[in-house]
Order: sequence, then C-alpha cells, then structure tokens
Amino acid sequence: MSLQKPVMRGLLAKRLRFHLPIAFSLAIAAALAFKFGVTEPRKKAYAEFYKNYDNVKEFNAMREAGVFEGVRPSGE
Amino acid sequence: MFRAVFRLSTSGARRLARTRPCYSAPLASRCYSHGKVETDEEFDSRWVTYFSKPDIDAWELRKGMNTLIGYDLVPEPKILDSALRACRRLNDLASAIRILEAVRDKAGPHKDIYPYLIQELKPTLTELGISTPEELGIDKL
Repeated sequence: MSLQKPVMRGLLAKRLRFHLPIAFSLAIAAALAFKFGVTEPRKKAYAEFYKNYDNVKEFNAMREAGVFEGVRPSGE
Repeated sequence: MFRAVFRLSTSGARRLARTRPCYSAPLASRCYSHGKVETDEEFDSRWVTYFSKPDIDAWELRKGMNTLIGYDLVPEPKILDSALRACRRLNDLASAIRILEAVRDKAGPHKDIYPYLIQELKPTLTELGISTPEELGIDKL
C-alpha cells in the first residue's frame, strides 16, 4: 500500500495564518487586562488620595511627630 | 463570548492593515501584484534544471540546497532526485544523506511527508547506493 502525496507547500503560511491572529489577540488582551486591572485602579487610588489632601495638616502632624530637623514640634 | 467577538474583529482588521503575504506562493520573496506569479510546476522544473547541470560544482550544489531549504515548502521528489544525482556526479555521499536529513527536518511536525518522499525516492536511492539516515542509525539523537 503506497502512501498518498501529502501537502508539501505553504505549511508555515498555513500555521501562521492560524496562530498569528491568536498571538496578537492574546498580546493585546494581556495589555488591556494590565491597563484596566492595574494601572487604571492605581491612578484612581492616587487621585482619590490627593483629592481632599490637606498638606498643611499633614505637615503639622509630621512636625508634632518630631520627624523634622529644620522645625521642632510646637511644644519645644 | 465577548473575547471571541473581540478576537474576530481584531484579526479581521489586522489582516487588512498588515500587507498581505502571499499565502499561495511558497517563495518568501516578492509579492508584486503586477508581475506574473510562477506556478508550482515552473518552480519545480526550474530547480530540477538547476541541479541537472552536468558540470555543477560543489558550491552551486550547496547554494542550491540552502536556497531551496529556505523556502516555505518541502521539495518535490523530482527536485530531490535531481539534487541526489548531482551529489553522485560530485562523488559527495555525505551531502546526499544530509539532503535526506534536511527534508525530514523541513517537514517539521508533519510526519507523513518524509515517508512519502522516501517511498518516491527509493528507486533513485537504490540505483545510486545512498543509504537513508534511518538505515545508518544516525536519525536518532
């Protein structure tokens, strides 16, 4: 029983035609997932933190805690 | 379900955006829309003629084989037959066996191609006294 002639041309092209769209889709999906899963929540967290941030209040709290050298707590 | 839609839409858009490679032709080269595309038969006979040169030299044999292996195809039995006869003219048994190893590797995961090629080349291999890598036991690592 002799073997039939198989397909011998364009094998790489056929493989790429199938795999390249998948590869690009997965790469773009990964990028989008990272953007919306990590960077956007992170940006939002920072925005929320600084929305009502009172830097004078925070400075005075740090001053009373005694972490500065240039300005002593108001008691001393 | 949305990912499937997303994948189809992006792959469709991408295929339009990227320059289309010629999926029909095995040659990884020019994709001119105006020029005549060589048919498979013309391609094959061009290569059979190349290796049939009576006074082919060793460099031309190596160059021809390396170029041929660079294409997106496994060479037809008649091209390989012509190349093996060129090896015979050059008294180069090593290259003849190497050609067989190369086409087996070219087939990649398609394990049905190499047995077919050996089947087609068996008369030539017997006539020229070329052993296959399998017969020599050098096909296994």
